[in-house]
Amino acid sequence: MAGTTGRKRRKEQSEYFFDYSLLFIVLFLLGFGMIMLYSTSSYQAAQDFNDSAYWLKKQIFAVVLGLILMIITANIPYQFWRKFAVIGYIVSAVLILLIIPFGREVKGAKRWIYIGGISLQPAEVAKLGMILFLASLICTMGRSIRNMKGFMLVFALPLPIVLMVWKITQNLSSAIIILGISVLMLFVASPDYKKFIIMGLIGLAGAALVVFVIVTASSTEGMGFRSERILAWLDPEAYASGKGFQTLQGLYAIGSGGIWGKGLGQSMQKLGFLPEAQNDMIFSIICEELGLFGAIAIILMFILLIWRLMVIANNAPDLFGALLVVGVLGHIAIQVILNIGVVTNTIPNTGISLPFISYGGSSVMFLLIEIGLCLSVAKRIQLKEL
Amino acid sequence: MQEAKNKTYIRKKIVVVFFLCAGLLTLLFVRLLYLMVFESVYYSGLAQRLHERERSIKAARGRILDANGAVIADNRTVCTVSVIHNQVKDKERVVEVLCSELGLSEEFVTQRVEKYSAIERIKSNVDKETGDRIREYNLDGVKVDEDYKRYYPYDSLASKVLGFTGADNQGIIGLEVIYEEYLKGMEGTILTVTDAKGVEVSEAGESRIEPVNGNDLYLSLDMNIQSYATQLAYQAMETKQADSVSILVMNPQNGELLAMVNVPEFDLNNPYELPADTSSEGLSSEKKQELLNRMWRNGCINDTYEPGSTFKIITAAAGLEEGVVTPESTFSCPGFVMVEDRKIRCHKVGGHGGQNFIQATMNSCNPAFVTVGLRLGAESYYRYFKQFGLLNKTGIDLPGEAGTIMHKLENIGMVELATISFGQSFQITPIQLLTTVSSIINGGNRVTPHFGVKVADSEGNLVSELNYPVTEGIVSEQTSETMRMMLEMVVAEGGGKNGQVEGYRIGGKTATSQTLPRGSGKYISSFLGFAPADDPQVIAVAIINNPQGTYYGGQIAAPVVRQLFENILPYLDIMDYNG
Repeated sequence: MAGTTGRKRRKEQSEYFFDYSLLFIVLFLLGFGMIMLYSTSSYQAAQDFNDSAYWLKKQIFAVVLGLILMIITANIPYQFWRKFAVIGYIVSAVLILLIIPFGREVKGAKRWIYIGGISLQPAEVAKLGMILFLASLICTMGRSIRNMKGFMLVFALPLPIVLMVWKITQNLSSAIIILGISVLMLFVASPDYKKFIIMGLIGLAGAALVVFVIVTASSTEGMGFRSERILAWLDPEAYASGKGFQTLQGLYAIGSGGIWGKGLGQSMQKLGFLPEAQNDMIFSIICEELGLFGAIAIILMFILLIWRLMVIANNAPDLFGALLVVGVLGHIAIQVILNIGVVTNTIPNTGISLPFISYGGSSVMFLLIEIGLCLSVAKRIQLKEL
Repeated sequence: MQEAKNKTYIRKKIVVVFFLCAGLLTLLFVRLLYLMVFESVYYSGLAQRLHERERSIKAARGRILDANGAVIADNRTVCTVSVIHNQVKDKERVVEVLCSELGLSEEFVTQRVEKYSAIERIKSNVDKETGDRIREYNLDGVKVDEDYKRYYPYDSLASKVLGFTGADNQGIIGLEVIYEEYLKGMEGTILTVTDAKGVEVSEAGESRIEPVNGNDLYLSLDMNIQSYATQLAYQAMETKQADSVSILVMNPQNGELLAMVNVPEFDLNNPYELPADTSSEGLSSEKKQELLNRMWRNGCINDTYEPGSTFKIITAAAGLEEGVVTPESTFSCPGFVMVEDRKIRCHKVGGHGGQNFIQATMNSCNPAFVTVGLRLGAESYYRYFKQFGLLNKTGIDLPGEAGTIMHKLENIGMVELATISFGQSFQITPIQLLTTVSSIINGGNRVTPHFGVKVADSEGNLVSELNYPVTEGIVSEQTSETMRMMLEMVVAEGGGKNGQVEGYRIGGKTATSQTLPRGSGKYISSFLGFAPADDPQVIAVAIINNPQGTYYGGQIAAPVVRQLFENILPYLDIMDYNG
């Protein structure tokens, strides 16, 4: 990429790599995300706050702050962070625990804490913290990851955080993401395949069993709201006024889009039919306005982003750098896959935002910090070794 | 940290992770392809139904016009006031304004305003002026839609014939029901695209299906005749303190009805108001509905009665047609006739003595007609009863026509046959009597009585000519002619003398029948008359229900028809060419 011209100049800085492709992909997604955010939220914002750009402004603020943090992170050698790995783990745990006394309840779930007027989701901190912690841990372990004890240690250490995120912040989606990131990093670090295939099969079998039990149960009473989500997933139209409502409205939006879409700004479903469309369901509005081709374009951008991260990870100067990038790759990929899966009703509904595009300050800020980390790793790649 | 390159297996695994993710995203893409291409029609259809709100545009109901082209049922613009819950901003003000302007209770309005629905109707049939005033308040969420309300310029004239319409402008009784299909037109619709709260999205525009207005109905009813007949009926009802009076006027040649009066009539513009002398207080809603139904009842077609002596026309026609009697046949009346063990009296206690058939008809002599009936025999009499169309309904274009209440053939013994012969022991409707007599005197064509003549659009272009069945040859022209002659004699020299109109040849027959149960002292007096007697162009019957004092049809009902004829014959330009 940028390297071909750099090689001839033989300047000191040019020997190192800066991944402009990654930066542009991210900037494109951010810009596109803000356009879609405005398109999706302006009608509702004008009604609720008399300001059609209400959500856009807040998002712009978070994006600008995130970009500054990204630039700072990108310019700090990533090795610097390694000594904060254990601290990161502890801080994540403490922040989650702080929710119990200080958390603010929004829509029945305590997920945010407020520090100096800024709201922060401890779950987002925990994702970054876990990537840092595991990368450091695996490097420190060296060859011992190959034996069962090391394997189990890497597998077990993230679990307390996962359980805390799930139970204390009542955020199953974030817990799944953190668990997913951990398993992915472990998968990359361990030379074994068999264990992971078995784990995957057990996971699938477990999920199938849960679904089977819920479907065959005569009554869903006492099984909690998650079991109803499973039933609504299987037949959203039967639960159209309850758990299936959002999913069904999302499907209306996607189906209305057709191949070419209704055109930017022309969505009908965003006019209050699809609740909080700018959050987790923004992809369905993209489908409605930009059609199948808009949706493909976004999916391709994300595949390109993951590909760039793969290239950086594979060329990272050391294992720590590679694992950091793999963690970030895992984080973004899992969120994209789960989000589109939920929106298309491929998997049961659970609240997961679409990276860089969905409304959400904490999320975009931490994602940009992670991209900053990846850029920092990319910078250490020596071009002559490419 | 050593700068050594990462181990090869790690690099391989990173590539595996990438392809795993890319693979899953590809699967999701396939899912999207399915949703957005193959399921697109299904979901976009559902979405469209969700986004569209339908509002109907009322179609103007067709007018009803009389024989002279006078509009007797018209439309007036009224307003429907509704609230749209989501658009209401100042709830207290809305409730306050609607209460004071519409005169509704606060509780009622508050309940409607607070109800969560797309659109809630507060009141329909609001005056245009009130609607305009409410519109001027410019209240958010209050909608005033213009609408049509039926208006009857003649108020109560022909009320039971015309009928009226309900809240949705649909016919409730009378011609408004029968011709609903022609009159109602087709509602139009406005399809608007709205957001989730029901607020219209202006950019999306609206699609409109224009309403089709109803067609106009033209009647044979003549409001001048109706008006005069109504006056006479009220006059008779008051002077005789009768329960009710009915007058029917028809063209016997084609069945076109010129007037149908049933007094007391009711006000078509306030059809739910009970007569002034009825106290509606403390009435249960069922009781009130029952009273309303009674008030709306059209006695000429909905009720049956024993026709009495006017039915002797049918017996005479059957006898002549069968040949069991001729005008010259002689009868002797001792004042009664014995049928089996029963003694049937004549109204003249001393008897009419010797008389021919014409004289017997003029005298309305019961024994003579009993004799004719008995000569015919039950089977033949029943056959003529059927042939004249008396067993079927007349087919008049009004709802709820009552059928004939008649013995079964196997139950007609001598006594029954004898009573049937002079119009007792069975029941028919007044319209049935009029139609059957018309058929006998018009040369034997059983016509269908009707009001509707044609249907035309609002510009007067013919949409449909209304045709009615005619059964020809129910009696011979010969019998018909004899009947006209005999009935003319009844008026000229017999019991129908009071029906004479100077300068015109009138035919007719009187009747006085006691209502069931016998001995109640209640009578129905009637007179049936037609003119000109030799070529009938108009036939009329007046029926006075339960008159006080004199109750003989010849004395109280015949003058009513006489007065009617005195006025309408010159009006109808039916000249007496013998005069």
